Order: sequence, then structure tokens, then C-alpha cells
Amino acid sequence: MIKHTYIHIPFCHSICSYCSFCKILYNHKYVKLYLEALKNELNHIYQGEIQETIYIGGGTPSVLDVNELEQLFKILSKLKKDTFTEYTIECNFSSLNLEKLLLFKKYGINRLSFGIESISDKNLKLLEREEQKNQIVELIKLARKLGFNNINLDLMYAIPKETMSNLDEDLEFIMNLNPEHISTYSCMIEPNTKLYLNKVKAIDEDLDFKMYQKICNKLKKKYIHYEISNFAKEQYQSKHNLGYWKNEEYYGFGVSASSYRNNSRYTNTKSITKYIKGEYDYYHELLDKSDKMSYEMILGLRLLEGVSKKNFFNKFQQDIKDSFDIDSLLEKKLLNESKTHYYINEKDLYISNSILVEFIKE
Amino acid sequence: MIQENIRNFCIIAHIDHGKSTLADRILEKTGAISKYELKEQMLDSMDIERERGITIKLNAVQIKYQTNDQTYFLNLIDTPGHVDFSYEVSRSLAACEGALLVIDASQGIEAQTLANLYLALDNNLTIIPVINKIDLPNADVLKVTQELENIGFNKEEIILTSAKTGVGIDELLEAIINKIPSPNGQKKLPLSALIFDSIFDSYKGVITSIRIVDGTIKVGDTIKMMKTNATYEVLSLSINTPHEQEVKELSAGEVGYLYASIKSLEDVKVGDTITLLNNPTSKALPGYKEMKPMVYCGIYPIESNKYEDLREALEKLKLNDASLVFEPETSKALGFGFRCGFLGLLHMEIIEERIEREFHIDIIATSPSVIYEVLLTDHKKVVIDSPTKMPDRSVIAKTYEPFVKVSIYSPKEYIGAIMELCQDRRGIFNNMDYLNDTRVTIYYQLPLSEIVYDFFDKLKSCTKGYASFDYEFIGYIESNLVKMDILLNGEIVDALSVVVHKDYAYKRGKLVVEKLKEIIPRQLFEVPIQAAIGTHVIARCDIKALRKNVLAKCYGGDVSRKKKLLEKQKAGKKRMKQIGSVEVPQEAFLSILSTSEK
Repeated sequence: MIKHTYIHIPFCHSICSYCSFCKILYNHKYVKLYLEALKNELNHIYQGEIQETIYIGGGTPSVLDVNELEQLFKILSKLKKDTFTEYTIECNFSSLNLEKLLLFKKYGINRLSFGIESISDKNLKLLEREEQKNQIVELIKLARKLGFNNINLDLMYAIPKETMSNLDEDLEFIMNLNPEHISTYSCMIEPNTKLYLNKVKAIDEDLDFKMYQKICNKLKKKYIHYEISNFAKEQYQSKHNLGYWKNEEYYGFGVSASSYRNNSRYTNTKSITKYIKGEYDYYHELLDKSDKMSYEMILGLRLLEGVSKKNFFNKFQQDIKDSFDIDSLLEKKLLNESKTHYYINEKDLYISNSILVEFIKE
Repeated sequence: MIQENIRNFCIIAHIDHGKSTLADRILEKTGAISKYELKEQMLDSMDIERERGITIKLNAVQIKYQTNDQTYFLNLIDTPGHVDFSYEVSRSLAACEGALLVIDASQGIEAQTLANLYLALDNNLTIIPVINKIDLPNADVLKVTQELENIGFNKEEIILTSAKTGVGIDELLEAIINKIPSPNGQKKLPLSALIFDSIFDSYKGVITSIRIVDGTIKVGDTIKMMKTNATYEVLSLSINTPHEQEVKELSAGEVGYLYASIKSLEDVKVGDTITLLNNPTSKALPGYKEMKPMVYCGIYPIESNKYEDLREALEKLKLNDASLVFEPETSKALGFGFRCGFLGLLHMEIIEERIEREFHIDIIATSPSVIYEVLLTDHKKVVIDSPTKMPDRSVIAKTYEPFVKVSIYSPKEYIGAIMELCQDRRGIFNNMDYLNDTRVTIYYQLPLSEIVYDFFDKLKSCTKGYASFDYEFIGYIESNLVKMDILLNGEIVDALSVVVHKDYAYKRGKLVVEKLKEIIPRQLFEVPIQAAIGTHVIARCDIKALRKNVLAKCYGGDVSRKKKLLEKQKAGKKRMKQIGSVEVPQEAFLSILSTSEK
């Protein structure tokens, strides 16, 4: 049973310097062809299960015009939903307006995700983003008025040359907006980004960690820290993302989208021209039981609650402690155990890769 | 073969002065090989030799040369150019009556030029001075001629060549015929043959290079090695033209190869005398010396399951190289490995490189050590070939370390820099000679341990590459030595221990811990690195705890990538050595080598 769907909309009005996602500049002609291809892919692959979550990400899905958005939602209406379905769309503020919000409402969108990242001029300049504080405040007010009561805001930190006081300013601004959910990431300088090509240097590891600590400490006063980089008010954890971390299956439609189905992890082509021609040309990783067990651990240990012993047993008919050398990790206190779960201590989350390698088979 | 028409000679030169190219040209000129067959440096048969431009193993070629209605047989015996192999050089010199002293027209006389010349003179060889590479744009024939005059040659006897273009080769061949005497041994005397080299061939077994001094050796003879008393039957004899050609016998003055059913190179000692079992000569040839390793280091496989492969590799290398010694050694830090002894640093580097290149085993080599002598309080003397074997300080009465006499040849403008370097390495100045107006020879007495680290690199860099050096062992001298341990997270890492002079321990300890801090990545916890003498810590640095190793974002599209990233980290982890709870990259073990002031 596949319960989650991800839809990738690769269009943006401008390209941010840190972005390594698959995207192109917005263009009517391409949007038309792209939506056509998306429809074909979805119709071809989707098996008709009720979807607990649908997530439209990008790129910037909200840059599509009203007609294009309507067309998109019609394509997606093929996906079966029920009253509990979490239906998210990623937006930026400069492309969003009342008309689009009303359209979202009409098609059942019940969660909005905004990439604010930062409001400090210095950071925005480096990130090549143009966000207006006033516009943000107004649009969020408007969304709330229309009944959107599940809003996520993204906050980026450890931006090259960022200082603690820049971060304080961003944190305060975001917390004042009182979103239900906050995702926060340290700025990674990844290949194929402008930052990388311009040889921008990442900030010092110790400062990065201090910023992370500060964010955790501040947000924990109002939010539940439930995943390395995610915070939510009670009941507002992202169900879609929890699906990934609990190693559940999902569809992924659109250029560069990944899916997990039929014991395989697929990633579609990253070339828009190929995608439009229907050449999905995906990367394919066939998983055996031990791969799946590895994934269960390396994904689940991102959650503060950790990996459920019972779920693991139900999935694999064997216990975690019989599948991995758990004892030595417990002994080194790199892993902790409750009655129901194994989890990484909060203080070690930021070095979790050093622990997760133990769950990778030779 | 008429004995009067034989000429046995070798070519001696500083490294890179064109010895092997000159040999190639002689082979080509005399028609021994065609131009098509001529790979560059025909005589060097190992890949490493050809790449590094160094002749490691010896080779002898017989060349037929017609002149004045006579056929001459020239035996060209190739010698290694490096000081590490000076005993091998001296034995191959002993197989000759003459030597071509080759000097690069652009470089002039260098350290090994003189070292080899003196060895040749010790063996009473006739020397033909040759200035080579005269085709080079920066050739300075006049200057080099002067240098040769300063060491006692006449201008008239110097031959100018370019092995590259072939200029002067005919003249050189005439000089070989006319100046080098024919061998003066006697066929009628009992057999006396010098072993000047041996190699192991995986098909034929041990092949021994011999020079017949007196008498005759025939296929089927029963021979006796005078040092080892081993006897063998001669299975075949051959010469190298450079195509192998079997012969029935070899007589006084001739050079060739001998095959007998000899299993291991250890049974054939270079410098030993071969005679006939039933008609032996009464006196062995002079000059035999047992070769002793000068430098030791530990060699460990990075993956501990490669220990047996490493043993096999060392055994195979030893078949080819009797001067390599090794015995099993265990390190707490590195597991099972071998303590290996080498003639010198170059020899060590070549063996390490061959293990990795030819046998595909990744190894960790610990820092090289010389052999120390320790007089204990109970008056016993012990020999220490590894820092870990250093006795406790309470039972040590005196410590001694090997010293060498170093001769450095350099343009005079670098005298200051060279002296500073030698002084810094605990050198004792002996004297200085001017070779001509611009070049000097500086003599220092230095502890061998100070030159096994990075002396040569430092010398090259402080003289812009102009200086060269050579050294000879002079003996053991009392010295205040201590063992310096390196502790990681409070635990001694035995493979990083070194023996140092007490006065220099602080400086060295500081450099080592700083270097290790750069090399060892952050760990999950803070790791102190300490240098200590006994229980006394003399230097300390801390590696900060790892703060960040996380994939901050992980959604649907990142999942496979995340696993790949972790797989990569896992592979990286595997390449590290786990020492206690600290993961140490292999470079750390080499780092002790290159620690010196920036």
C-alpha cells in the first residue's frame, strides 16, 4: 500500500545561489509540455490507493499562473484522498496572491510551506533571494484568514559569513509569525550551485554547531523537536515527511522525483527535455531485506523518538538487536534504548552520520 | 676468444648524468642491438628503474667491436649509481679493468661522481673521463673540463660525447680499446671467479653474474663457493649480447652468467669466489664483505588480512635482493607486520613502492630508524633496531648511535644554508674544499638518524636543487638518546615511537604533535595528542571533538544519496587504522618522517 505522493514542479522565477534542486526558469511553453508529461507519468504508474499525504514541491510550484495551477490540480485529482489527507504545496511570497490561495483552498490544499530562509539583507544578498518582510507578514495573515492553519516556514542558518546576531534576528522574525511547523537547515555548499562555483567557503564547523544548538534551544520552548531539522507544534508534524523517515513507500512524479515502490528506490531523469519526451530514465536501486533494514535505521534514527522495535519486527520478522551490532553502540552511549524504541541522544544528532555508518553493511 | 682482445669496463656517474643512455648508444653503435629494439635505457629492466632513471640491479653485456682488422670483445658492466648500493658498485668495479667516468656537461662533478671515482681508483681501474650531454644548451664543457683537471685528469684524455646525438661515441670506443688494459688472468691456473651480481628469475632460478679471473669454467663442472662452501653443478653458461647466448665455457678475463641448481639468492653472496671442487684455488679473491642493513622500518598491511600476502611479497622481493632483511614484528597499534632492514633510504623507498605497485598491497611504513647500541647498567651491550625495543631508562648506562661522514657538493653561494642545515641536524663540521672557484665540497660528521628523515629533501630545497651529497659510515659514537613516545587519547601508539637526541626531543615532540593534529580528523570526542619521554609529557595538542557530521536535509529525493554518502564514509573509515578508540589515517605514520620546520 503506497500512501504518499510527491509531485515535483521544477519552475522558478529566479535561481537561488545555494539551490541544488532540479529547476529551470519559469516559461509558459515548458509548463504546458511539462504538465502533459506529468499527467502521463501519473496515469501510468499510480495504482489507485488512497493517499494519506500529497506534497507538491519544487522549484517553486506557486510560480505557475492560475490556469496552470488549476490544470495541475486537475491532473492530481486522480489521486484518491480522504478527509485526513495532508495536502501540501511549497510557495514563495513574491508569486503568491489571493487568487492562488483561493484556488488552493478549492482543491483541498491544507498545508502551506514557505521558504523564508533568512530576512537578513546580508544573507539574502548572498543567497540571491528577494523576500520582503512586509509582504511575508501580510500574506501569512491573508492565508490564516482564509483558513490555512498548517503553515511551515523554512529557516536557513550557517550561511557563509552569517553571525549569531543575524541568526537571532531571523529566529525572532519567524517565531513571531507563529507557524505550526519550522524546518531549519544549515546552508550546504553543494556541487552545481552558484555558491560552489563561486568557491564560497562554508562557515566554521564549531559555529555551525553553536547555531544549531541555539535554534534547538529557542524553538523547543514552543515546538516539539521531532527530527534533526524539524520542529512542530503538537499534532502538526509533517505526515508526508514522517513517511520518508519511517521508511514507508511513496510515489514520486515529475522530473528528478524519487519514489520507493516495488522493493525499489527510483529517481527520475534530471533532464527536463527528456522528461517531457517521456524518457524517465530513472536510477534504480533494487532493495533486498538487509538494504531495507539499513534504510529503516538510517532514516528512522533521524527522529528523536527513534526507530520502533515493534514496527521493525513487524516489517522484517526479526529484532533490531539481532540485525545490527546494537550493543557496542549502546555501550559507547552513541545509541539509547527505551522500552519501545532505539534512538540517538539529542546531543549527538548533529554527528549522527558517524553513528549511522554502523548500520551500513560492508 | 683471445684474451688480449677482451676489455672489461663499466660506466660510473652521478645519478641522471646519462650513464644508461650512453650504454644504449654504445650498444646501438656497435650493432649489438638495432635502433628498433632500443627501448630507452635498455639495460635497466625493471619498470621502477626506468621511471626513476636509476639502475638498481646489475647487468653485463658483451659487445663485439671490429677495428684495425681485429675483433674485440667489450664487456660492459652496468653499475648502480646510488650510494645505497655502494658495495654492489665496488664488486662490479672489481670485475673490470677500466671505467668510463661520465659527467653531465651542464651539471659538472657531483657527489657520486667522486664517490664512485674513488671506489674505481681503489680497485686500480683505468679511468676514461667523459663529458656527456654536450648537446645541451646549458652545457659548460670548459668549466667541467677544469673541474676534471682539478681532480687530476689531463685535458687531452677527456672525451666529449652526446649520448643523445651519438657525437663522440666512435672516439670513446677507440679509447676503450687503446687505454683499458686487457685482463691479465691465467687460463692455466685453477678456477677463480668473482660473483659480482645475482638475480632471481622465476623460470630459471638464480642466475649468477661472474667474472673469470683465472682458469676456465665449463658446463658440467662441479663448483664450490669459497665463503659458503656450497657446491653445485654448472648447468649452463651464457653471455648477454644483449640477447642471451649459451656458451660451453668461460675462461680467464671473460664475463658471463652461470646457472646451477641454486635455490635462493642467499646461497650466492656477491663478492664470493667460485672455484672448482676437485681443483680449487688456494686463495679467495679479496674484498668480500657481508652486506648489513643500515636503516630499518616496520611495514604493516593496512588490511590485517593481507599479512600473509605481505610476507609472500617480501619473500619474492628477497629472491631478487639478498640485501633486504625482514622478520615478523607485532605492533599494538598496527597489528602484525614485519621489521625490515635496508641498505639505505632509497633502497627502502624502492621496496615499499614495489610492494604497493607489483603486489598491490596497501602498506603502512613506520618511520625509519637506524640501529642504536645501548650499554646496560649490567655492562651488557644490546643492539636496538626498533624504538619499541629500547630498554627502560633505568637500566641504560650509555647509548650510542651510528655516525656518517657526509660529503656535500654545492655551488659556493649555498655554503651558509648547508652549514645551517647540518648544524641543525647535530652535525660536526670537518672541513671544506674548493673544487674550483665556484664549487665546494663540505664535509660534516652527522648522526645517520638525522639524514634518514628528510635531509636530502631539505638539502635540495635550501640549495635550489644544486647540491648533492654522499655519505659513508664511520662508526658508533656515544650520544644522549631517549625514546620519545606519542600518546593518542592517553595511550602509547608504539608505531609512532622514535628515538631522538635528548636535547632535540622538545622541538621534535612539538612538531610531531602539531603535524598529527593536522592529519588526524576530528573524532567523536576530544583527543589529546602527547609526546612523552617516559612518563614526562613534553608536548601536547588537542584534536577538537567532531561537531558536525549530519545530512541536515533528508526527504524523498535524498534517501538514496544519503545511503551512498554513508557508504562512502564507511569506506573511508575502513581505510583508517583504529588505534584504541581513535581512527588514524595512514598518512599519520609517515608524517613523523617529514616533520621539520617549515
